[in-house]
Amino acid sequence: MRRLSSFNCALGLPWLVQVAFFAAATPLFAQSAAEPTAISREVKDVFERCSKAVVKIEATDQHGQLSGTGFFVDPTGTLYTAYSVGGEAENVNVLFKGKKYPAHQLMADLRSGIAMLKVDMASPALPIGSSEQLEIATPVVTIGYPLDLAETPSFGMIAGFDRKCFGGYFPTKHLRVNLPPQRGEGGAPLLNLKGEVVGILLYSFENNSCYALPIEAAEKIRSDYVRFGEPRYGWIGTDVQEANTPVDGSRAVTTEVMKGTPAADAGLKPGDVVLQIGRTKVHEAEDILEASFFLTAGDAVPITIARGDERITFQIQADLHPASKTRLAAPPPLNRAIPLNLQSEPDLTP
Amino acid sequence: MDEFNDNEIAKLLRLKRHEQPPPGYFDNFLHEFHRRQRNELLRQPLWRICADRMRDFVFSFNLSTLTSYPVAVTAVLICAAILSLRIYQTPQPATTAIKDRPVLAVPASTDGEWTLASPVATRVFNTRSLRNMTESAQTHRTGTPPRYVLDSVPVSYETTFKF
Repeated sequence: MRRLSSFNCALGLPWLVQVAFFAAATPLFAQSAAEPTAISREVKDVFERCSKAVVKIEATDQHGQLSGTGFFVDPTGTLYTAYSVGGEAENVNVLFKGKKYPAHQLMADLRSGIAMLKVDMASPALPIGSSEQLEIATPVVTIGYPLDLAETPSFGMIAGFDRKCFGGYFPTKHLRVNLPPQRGEGGAPLLNLKGEVVGILLYSFENNSCYALPIEAAEKIRSDYVRFGEPRYGWIGTDVQEANTPVDGSRAVTTEVMKGTPAADAGLKPGDVVLQIGRTKVHEAEDILEASFFLTAGDAVPITIARGDERITFQIQADLHPASKTRLAAPPPLNRAIPLNLQSEPDLTP
Repeated sequence: MDEFNDNEIAKLLRLKRHEQPPPGYFDNFLHEFHRRQRNELLRQPLWRICADRMRDFVFSFNLSTLTSYPVAVTAVLICAAILSLRIYQTPQPATTAIKDRPVLAVPASTDGEWTLASPVATRVFNTRSLRNMTESAQTHRTGTPPRYVLDSVPVSYETTFKF
C-alpha cells in the first residue's frame, strides 16, 4: 500500500501540473483566437463610419472618361482626390448617396499629386489624423471604388516611409502600404483604425502594395489654398549635395547659392552644411526635400548651418518656387477662403 | 313464355317423355353443333363478322393488365423520349446574342484574304477573347468603359536637392 501510495503521488504531481498549465494557457489561446476577430470588427467599424464620406468621381479628360475615388474633408463638400482623377479633368461629377453631383476644381497640384474639388452641398467629412504617428506594421484601411463596383474596403499595414521609388525622388516622404490596391481607387483615403485620414492613395506599387501621400502634405496644400488660393511652395535658392564626411550629424552641404535669391541675400555660402530647416533636422541631402516641401513662399523659416566651427541660424523669407512661377499664368487673389454654399444641413462623420 | 301456361307445359312434357333421339345422335352431337354454328356465322355479312372480331379482341383484354408494371414502365419511357426530343431540339437563335456577338473575322489588313494565287490558303483570324477582366466586371454598363485611375508611377519627381 505504501508503494502504491507513492506511485499515485508520483503520477499525481505531473497531472496537477498539466491541469495548471492548461488552465493558465487557455486564456492565452482564447486571446490569440480572438485577435483576428477584434481587428475584423475594427475594420468593419471604420468602414461603416467612413464609407459615407468616400465618393466615386467620374470625369472626362483628353483620353476619355475616367473613374476614381475621393473623400470629403469638410462639411461644405470639399474633397481630396488624386491629380490623375481631378487634376486635368472636365465635367467632373461626384456620385454620392446614389446621386450624381457636379463638382468643380478648387486646386490641382502636380508636385504632390493631388487635387481638391468642391461640391456645392452639405457633406459628411472624414477627420484628419496624423501620419507621423504611424509606424512600420501599423494597420491601415482604405476605402475606394474599384472598377465599376461599390465602395470596397481594403486592409493592410504600413510597410515603409520612402523618399524615392523607381529611381526618382518623391517631393516628400511617402507611405508605402501593403494592401491590395485596385484600379479606380486612386484618390482613396488611407485610414487608421480610429477612422482618421492619414494619407491619400496615389500610386500602385508592385503586387499588393501602393504609395500614399501623407495627409500632412495634403493639408499643407489645402492651407496654402485657403491663404493664397493656390499651392505656394517656397524655396531659398540653394543646391545641396551629399558630403563625404558629416558635420554635426549632417551630410547636406550647400554646393551652390543662386544669385538674387533669399539664400544669397541672407548670406549663405557654398560649403555651408545645413543642420536644420524649420523644425526638421537635416542628416542627409534627402532630408532637404522633406523640409523644402513644407516651405511656404512668403513665410520666414529659420535655417541653421555649420560653417567651419560656427553654427549660424538665418531667418530667411522663402520665395516662390520656380516651378510655381512657371505654372502660374496670373496671380491668384490672396486669402481666398473655400466658398461655402450649403444646400442642406451637414452630415458629420464619424 | 306467355303462349304457354304451366298446365300446357306439363302436358307437353308428358307427351315428349317417351320420345328418344335417333341412335348415334349424341355421338355426333358436338360435330353437328360446330357445323351449324359455322353455317350460322357464314350467313352474316362480312362487316358484321369483322366488327364482332374486333369487339371480341378488345374485350379480351383485362383492364387490370393495363395498369400493370410493364405498362407503367413503357409509359415512362415514352414520356422520357418525348421530353428528350424537346430538350435537344435545335434552339432558335436569340436576337440579342446575334447583336452582341463580337466580330471575330474582321481582318486588320488584307494580308489574310483568300486569293486564287495560292491553291492552299491559310488565314489567321484576328480573334480576341470574348471578355477581358474589365468587361467582365462591367456587367451592367453600356458603351465604352471609363479609365479606372490608379497610377503606377508618380506624376512628378524631384530632380535635384534644390530648395
